[in-house]
Amino acid sequence: MSRVIGELEELILLAVCILDGEAYGVSVKKEVERHTGRTILLGAIHITLYRLQDKGMLQSKLGGSSEKRGDRRKRLFRITKKGMEQLRTSQDVRQKMWDLIPQLSTGS
Amino acid sequence: MNTPRRSLSRRLADALIERWVGRVYLEEFMGDLDEMYEDRLEQRGKFPAEAMYWIDAIHLIFGFSSTVSKQSHSMFIGNMVKIAWRSAARHKQFTVLNLLGLTLGIATCVAIGLYVYEETTYDNFHANGDRIYRINQSMIWGDWTEQFSGTGPGITEAIRTDVPDFEEVTRIYFVGEQLMRAPDNGEATHFNEVNLYAAEDNFFKVFTFPFIKGSPNTALKEPHTIVVTESTAKRYFGDADPIGKTIETKSATGVYTPYTVTGLLADVPSQSHLKFDMLYSLSSVGELKTSKDTWIWTIFGTYGLVREGTDITALTKKLQALPPKYASRTTQSIFNQTFEQFTKGKPWTLYLQPLNDIYLAKEPTFNRFGPQGNPKFVMIFGAIGVLVLLLSSINFMNLSTARSSNRAKEVGVRKVLGSAKTTLVRQFIIESMLFVGVSTVAALLLVQLSLNVFNTIAEKQLSLVAHLTNPYFFGTLIGFMLIVGLAAGSYPSLYLSAFKPVETLKGKLRAGFKGTGIRNGLVVFQFTVSIALIICTFFVQKQLAYTSTIDVGISKDHVLQIYNMHQLGKGVDVLKAKLQTNPALTVVAQSGFLPPNVWGGDRYRAEGPDQPVVDLHYMRCDENYLPLLQTKFIIGRNFDPTNAADKFNIIINEEAARILGYGSKETWGDETPLGKHVVQSFGPEEKLQIIGVVKNFNFNSVKQKIEPLLVMHTDNDKHWSYSAGFPSYLSMRINPGSVKSGDDLQDLINDVKSELAKVDPAIPFRYSFMDEEFDDTFHEERKMSVVLNLFTVLAIVIACLGLFGLAAFSADQRKKELGIRKLHGASTSHLVFLFSSEFTRLVGLSIILATPIAWLLTDYWLSNFAYRTPISALVFVVAGVVALSIAAFTVGFQSLSAANANPAEVLKNE
Repeated sequence: MSRVIGELEELILLAVCILDGEAYGVSVKKEVERHTGRTILLGAIHITLYRLQDKGMLQSKLGGSSEKRGDRRKRLFRITKKGMEQLRTSQDVRQKMWDLIPQLSTGS
Repeated sequence: MNTPRRSLSRRLADALIERWVGRVYLEEFMGDLDEMYEDRLEQRGKFPAEAMYWIDAIHLIFGFSSTVSKQSHSMFIGNMVKIAWRSAARHKQFTVLNLLGLTLGIATCVAIGLYVYEETTYDNFHANGDRIYRINQSMIWGDWTEQFSGTGPGITEAIRTDVPDFEEVTRIYFVGEQLMRAPDNGEATHFNEVNLYAAEDNFFKVFTFPFIKGSPNTALKEPHTIVVTESTAKRYFGDADPIGKTIETKSATGVYTPYTVTGLLADVPSQSHLKFDMLYSLSSVGELKTSKDTWIWTIFGTYGLVREGTDITALTKKLQALPPKYASRTTQSIFNQTFEQFTKGKPWTLYLQPLNDIYLAKEPTFNRFGPQGNPKFVMIFGAIGVLVLLLSSINFMNLSTARSSNRAKEVGVRKVLGSAKTTLVRQFIIESMLFVGVSTVAALLLVQLSLNVFNTIAEKQLSLVAHLTNPYFFGTLIGFMLIVGLAAGSYPSLYLSAFKPVETLKGKLRAGFKGTGIRNGLVVFQFTVSIALIICTFFVQKQLAYTSTIDVGISKDHVLQIYNMHQLGKGVDVLKAKLQTNPALTVVAQSGFLPPNVWGGDRYRAEGPDQPVVDLHYMRCDENYLPLLQTKFIIGRNFDPTNAADKFNIIINEEAARILGYGSKETWGDETPLGKHVVQSFGPEEKLQIIGVVKNFNFNSVKQKIEPLLVMHTDNDKHWSYSAGFPSYLSMRINPGSVKSGDDLQDLINDVKSELAKVDPAIPFRYSFMDEEFDDTFHEERKMSVVLNLFTVLAIVIACLGLFGLAAFSADQRKKELGIRKLHGASTSHLVFLFSSEFTRLVGLSIILATPIAWLLTDYWLSNFAYRTPISALVFVVAGVVALSIAAFTVGFQSLSAANANPAEVLKNE
């Protein structure tokens, strides 16, 4: 498979997987920030989520609200089969490339 | 549960999102924004949460605005930026002029904004700041309608008995300069402390000055305890712990009084109207025990902390009952007057001034305990900042509309291809915002680079870097960019997008040069402002030049004066005798005040029945001082050192003679004031005999009229100010013949310094020259004139940038017309004239408009001065000529190149 996804896209896909049904804008943002330690603007998260949905790697539906949100519903994202495949592929690509790194001799 | 109302700024952001972001996304986005807002509110507080709300909102709008309507897909933001970049790069001259003008304007505005922010946010670090009020009273020593920040200790006593609405009332007492040392150090180093006051034990219950060591509640309880700030402690004790150590004050007679350090404070923040290095306990002030009920010992500052929810208007009303009830005892015992006699029927009002208003208040203008701001200066600065920004925005609009004709074709093509009007408007607004954004960044750099200069002029320590981490600052900056971008971009965008494609594509607009009216109006506005500024600047300079040439009635040149003589005690006579032997000094004299700062005043009346009580300034000096000043006697004589009775005799000035009812030289005939008595209208009502009348001279700044003055001898102990520890000075007239160079002068000063050190090495040596002190009374005005000069130049530069751009544009538009004229035989000079006359007319109109405005402004400013330079027509003419020639020079370059162009080149395309 030749399609490549960007780093942020990959991180967000992973976060959506981790959150397992509880993934929406703020929770994805928090998850990615927690693991990477950097700050990401909400808008960037949303743009990427929608781009991934357009690419068919995510699907979404409106659901669940809380008082904090002023009783507004969240858009909950789920990974699709295609998204899962993409994640696997990119991990495989990386693993293959790691394997090709010649063993560096340490210590001399 | 009821959630609190959303703040205005959040609702505004919401409205923007609703307007620009597609409806499908609204619910989830708003939900996310709210959720994050709540989180941030908890973690970081209200302001960062609001600021981040905006940042996120704007980011979302930019990310999702393209979804608002399906038709505008071709106009993504990125695309717009690309087009903006291309058109900017194609018209480099316009782009540079635009950016330069805007950058200058924004930089000025940011610098001034920093200054105004600094000035308007004084005293906001006190925990109970909103409940702290200073208690002011009527100016009982002069104009009763003015406010006076000095109050007597009796006011506090009265409030404590009668008014329960205050949680605390506290007093701070003005001590005056003191020589101090720390005896434990074994060193004799003395410091001259200026910012030393005495404060009551509850001072820190009212004000929040953080303690590093010691207890705020008990530190000032005991007599002879003192709290010091960190840097002061360092000065005395180095890095050692100051608590429990001793600091001593030295009196004029050489007696030391010890104070024990009980508290170490952090240094007082720079934005505080109370500025002290040390505070000792008010219970150490001995006189307070005997005079605690007096109302006229107005050397205290009184501050009250009102209870929560107090109605200030009602409380102020309540306070008005105090002066008639309590002050009468004071007026009776000190002035032998009833309360009504003392006030002459005027109301003795008490005022409550909120803490945050104190620094920049119009009145009282006087604050004994720290800095006092100048609201006029802040206003002038602010107005100029807004004006310069306005000028540069106008420039921007002007240049953009001018350029718009060139882009008319682009607009036409776009419209034909189906672009909606809103898309075009957005394109132009985004372009202008990009310009503003770039200019803002450049302006911030410029401010950072030039802040040092600005600080020197405004005498401030402003810093841009400190604000860069402040979300407030960023919020303001973003809001500011949006507003200026919208304001500057709105006209060209609406104007351009309204073009009819058919006409623009036919080329009608190019020939028509539409919108000239508005553009010319804007040019006139710019030049009106510039010319008015030029005229004002001229007058400020003229007034300053004039005031330094006013004959003040005394010879103020070549007078060296040294300070702190009261700390020398009797040693001052030794020093005086010693200095008199110096051949470079012709006279040496002692005095209790130095012109132009003779501010002491008291109440006197001429002897006899029913004589009115009048306020006279008084000055103490010895028999040498009036000859040193070279005052002229109208009648009578100077103090005579051989006549013992002269100790209690006085000399008055013409104005005092008039106001005491003796008349003037022309009217008194044989009935001269000599030998008559002036009664001190206080205490035991001592009589003082007049032995001379001197010609009026300016003993205060020449901003004021000459006021009545009474001169008494240094040794007169019938007046309360004798031995009250008031400052005294030695003045000496330098023989100009013996001091020929700066080095000679420096040598002389060193001589005087070493003589002083021989008498008492502990006294700090401080000196000044009288003429410089007179000049210094115009310090504020000089500062203002420098600032005005700077901004006048800026305004002119910006106006010229605009004019230059317009001229360049016009030259481009009319090059064919000029080419044809040339072809038919018009000469170059004729063409230049033709071309320039259009702009000259505009500048001429501006001169006509600016003249009355500038006249009103200068007249208003000059009305502050007792001696004012006349408003002469010449200045207006000069300013007009200057403006015209600057404009002519700016336009001339363009018109010359237009007129010189080869008609064949210009017309070959037709």
